[in-house]
Amino acid sequence: MKRVLDEGKLILIAIPVLIWTLLPIYHLFVLSISNQESMLAGKLWPDKPTLQNFQIVFNQQHYYLNNFWLQLFNSFLIAIATGLITLFVATCAAFAISRLRAPGGRTIMNFALATYLIPAAFLAIPMYKAMGTFGLLNTRTALILAMVALASPYAIWVLKQASDKLPRELDEAAIMDGATSLQLFRLVYLPLMKPSMVVIGIYALLLAWNEYLYAFLLLSSEQALPLAVGLGLFLSADDAPWNLLMTAGLIYAIPPAVIYYGFRNNMVSGLTSGAVKS
Amino acid sequence: MKSVRSLAAGAALAAIAAGWSGAALAQETVTVWFTKGFYKGEDDALLAVVDKFQKATGVKVDLSLYSTEDCVTKSVGAVQAGTPPDVGFCTTYDFRTTGQWAFEGKLEDVTDVIEPLKGDILPDALVTTYLMNDKTKKKSYYAFPVQQQMMHITYWKDMLEEAGFKESDIPKSWNGYWDFWCDKVQGGLRAKGKRIYAVGHPLGVAASDTFYSFLTFANAHDAKVVDESGKIVLDDPKNKAAMVAAVKDYASISSRGCTPPSSVNWLDPDNNVAFHNRTIAMTHNATISIASKHLDDMNNQALTPEQREQAKKNYLDNIRTTQFPDKPDGKPLPNLAAVKTAVVFADGKNKKRGKEFMAFMMKDENLRPFVEGSLGRWLPTTKSGLASPFWTDGKDPHRALVYKQFSSGTIPFQFVYNYKFTAVNAENVWAKAVNRVLVDKVAPEQAVDEMIVRIKQIAG
Amino acid sequence: MTAATMAAPAPPASATTSGQARDRAFWGVVMLAPYILVFAVMVVYPVAYGLWIGLNWQSYRALFTDPIFFRTVVNTVIFLFVAVNLKFLIALFLSGFFVAQRAWVRIVLVLFILPWAVPSIPTILSFRVMLNPETGMVNSQLFQWFGIMEGPGWLTDPTLAFICSIFVHIWKSLPFWTLILVTGRLAIAQDLYEAASVDGANKWQQFRFITWPSLATLYVTSTLLSMIWTLGDFNSVYLLTGGGPGDLNHVLATLGIRYMRNNNLDLGIASIIVAMPLILPMVWFMVKRLSKGAE
Repeated sequence: MKRVLDEGKLILIAIPVLIWTLLPIYHLFVLSISNQESMLAGKLWPDKPTLQNFQIVFNQQHYYLNNFWLQLFNSFLIAIATGLITLFVATCAAFAISRLRAPGGRTIMNFALATYLIPAAFLAIPMYKAMGTFGLLNTRTALILAMVALASPYAIWVLKQASDKLPRELDEAAIMDGATSLQLFRLVYLPLMKPSMVVIGIYALLLAWNEYLYAFLLLSSEQALPLAVGLGLFLSADDAPWNLLMTAGLIYAIPPAVIYYGFRNNMVSGLTSGAVKS
Repeated sequence: MKSVRSLAAGAALAAIAAGWSGAALAQETVTVWFTKGFYKGEDDALLAVVDKFQKATGVKVDLSLYSTEDCVTKSVGAVQAGTPPDVGFCTTYDFRTTGQWAFEGKLEDVTDVIEPLKGDILPDALVTTYLMNDKTKKKSYYAFPVQQQMMHITYWKDMLEEAGFKESDIPKSWNGYWDFWCDKVQGGLRAKGKRIYAVGHPLGVAASDTFYSFLTFANAHDAKVVDESGKIVLDDPKNKAAMVAAVKDYASISSRGCTPPSSVNWLDPDNNVAFHNRTIAMTHNATISIASKHLDDMNNQALTPEQREQAKKNYLDNIRTTQFPDKPDGKPLPNLAAVKTAVVFADGKNKKRGKEFMAFMMKDENLRPFVEGSLGRWLPTTKSGLASPFWTDGKDPHRALVYKQFSSGTIPFQFVYNYKFTAVNAENVWAKAVNRVLVDKVAPEQAVDEMIVRIKQIAG
Repeated sequence: MTAATMAAPAPPASATTSGQARDRAFWGVVMLAPYILVFAVMVVYPVAYGLWIGLNWQSYRALFTDPIFFRTVVNTVIFLFVAVNLKFLIALFLSGFFVAQRAWVRIVLVLFILPWAVPSIPTILSFRVMLNPETGMVNSQLFQWFGIMEGPGWLTDPTLAFICSIFVHIWKSLPFWTLILVTGRLAIAQDLYEAASVDGANKWQQFRFITWPSLATLYVTSTLLSMIWTLGDFNSVYLLTGGGPGDLNHVLATLGIRYMRNNNLDLGIASIIVAMPLILPMVWFMVKRLSKGAE
């Protein structure tokens, strides 16, 4: 009896939680299968669900979708480049700090942590200004560099913690055998760090894929934009193609969701070793 | 290996140097940034000009097209960083930056190009490009008047009829006009159970539509803000009273519930959106872009034949373009015109060619197809452009009206006389005052007092 | 905070030759170099440049005379206070729900983290379209079912719009913090609860004397961290309302961008510098806390 009562209570909590969570996502989905009339009438479910929006998006048949594929490609390019570069930078730095006890490593770690903690929105304008002086504005390089700068501090921190947990004896044994630092890195460190590196690579990749503010500031030509900003441009359309916006948005949301759910278990354990930016 | 590379680099350098000296080894380029057109016709016309220029001079044009908002943001960044293009043309330069850049000496004096064209350029358009430079302490021509825009009113004739009225029922007097739409038309449509608003009345602070519309109202009430020397004259009691009337008037359309509630958040395209959705029966808009969209749609092969047919019916029959009613004092309302300016940047790497490009662009045979490519969205700034059959043949109902509207004359924005008004507009002091009245329920007099204080802080 | 602590290792035994020590020092520097380069070019230089621009006293005068600025500061404080506390109370409550040992609860959890797993742009824009007063789904349904001609001005009434952006912020970040607290709760030994219920402790007492003491540190750390990030939440405000209506709903994170869009970069920088006294102490505190946990 008590168990049934408990079950009832739990369901009473679950229902509002699910409605709250899914409402905007449901709305996004409904609009993506609605035609213009159903959408503007605010229908809960379209009269005639249609896949035509997807066809329009894939064929780039709207002014604001002229560069859809290119922008999707840009998103991939920027995310993957950010992921790889961050991984390189952070893995090396974590190794130097944690295993080689590089001089000043601790200080650098603290500076990196501070960079991680200061909200990115407050670094955006100075970074925009600096990119102007570097002559990098409106290049994808600028965005990739900015995202690496934003992603590496947390990456270093997580990797350093993971690295600290590796037994010291391994290093000592290797050193006794006369291993150089590079051999230590390649033969001992990298193989053992693989799981953490996957998590961090994904973290950086998703951070770059989801980024809006920096992309919107640093890039301007429609050919250089990632899809995130391309979607924002829809707000300047004068024919309310919000169903197309939601369709493109749905497509844009799928890769990170798939990656996220695919690596869920790793991500959750990665997450508990610190806080991933929400 | 190393020596081979440095040899190659040296050769490349030599080639570039040779290109500079005029030999056709490496090509000379001129960098040009333009706003991306709303219609394909605009971009096609521009590309044709670029092509002709390249053939005529052998100079390569490095052309970038940016969307309206990005164009200006990017230009501002580039000017600040000291790396501007040679030529820039964004359709919001005039609202945002031209005057300021001229004042700060960031623009190249283009008097020598403007001088021979002067006879053909409409005088009211010309004045927008005659700007103060604080470095030389002199006024001079710092921009090219490429095209311009005016305020129009657009309405759905079929919705008017649905509400039970004919076009001839629309009053010509100021108050009668707004009352007609607000009370009669909206009343008529609401009586049929429709969730429709009569007027699309922009109130968003982020929209240039809002200050354009508001300043049109201010002109209707003769609220003068600056004189021709750029001095603020709004605290003159007569002007202040007129401004209070304008704020009251502008706010009343919203407080009477005649405009959709979302209009307080509207961005520039949103009154167009509401109009196309038929959420509103009429709106004032600073171009005829609302009608032009249907002209574009009726020729758009991506749409179905039924959609094209509907667009044609909308353009030719259902949608009407008119001018504003007469001022409250019964005189015709002069058109507040915004002249879209192209500039040559003083820091441009090849500004000499930049000037040549603009001189080429300003030739009637090049400028006219570009302006007309916008399907009537942008109006000509030259007498010869205005004399084109595109405007005068009377075949297109919307353009015919625009041509007629020119006859009421045009007046420039305040920022032509005092560039700091670009900042006043950017902050949308006007919409803020109206919102103070609407949201915070302060008296219009107080809102105008605050407006004056703020304007003086920014532009005094 | 959760890192397993490790005894600080003694320096490697004297077995290392001096050649190896030199090798280590050399590679230590080389491998740190990429990050130092990124940090110098992308963080130090911009920040220094920003500070240099921020030295212009005029900007602060202009900033303080802007009526929007004061409003923004108040907004930011309210946003921070309400959003963070509400979010954590809900997260604390829901973390209790999600530790329930039921298969279906695990499925709910999978759905529940969707807002965090999908990018914010499409979903916030979805909110924006849904809450449009005329054509949005919510008010259209109100009209259809109840004949309400003028539904609530979700995004047009200044107060309501502000509340909506707080809720959008919570919608987006709640799953993450709930998960953190769930892991915190799972770390509590189950036999404590069993012993307590044998002793006749009720649910509240169990929470009060077992759950809360074990979670408190995590809760406080998380709250602080969340405060810092909430302060930097640009998307929930900018993409939902653009700071509107009437620029009344800006927060410090969006104000800088507003100034920049108005060609007033100096004011943008000034508004950021003004926010620093609020942010830096929290950042400093967190850095100490995190780096201590990590050693």
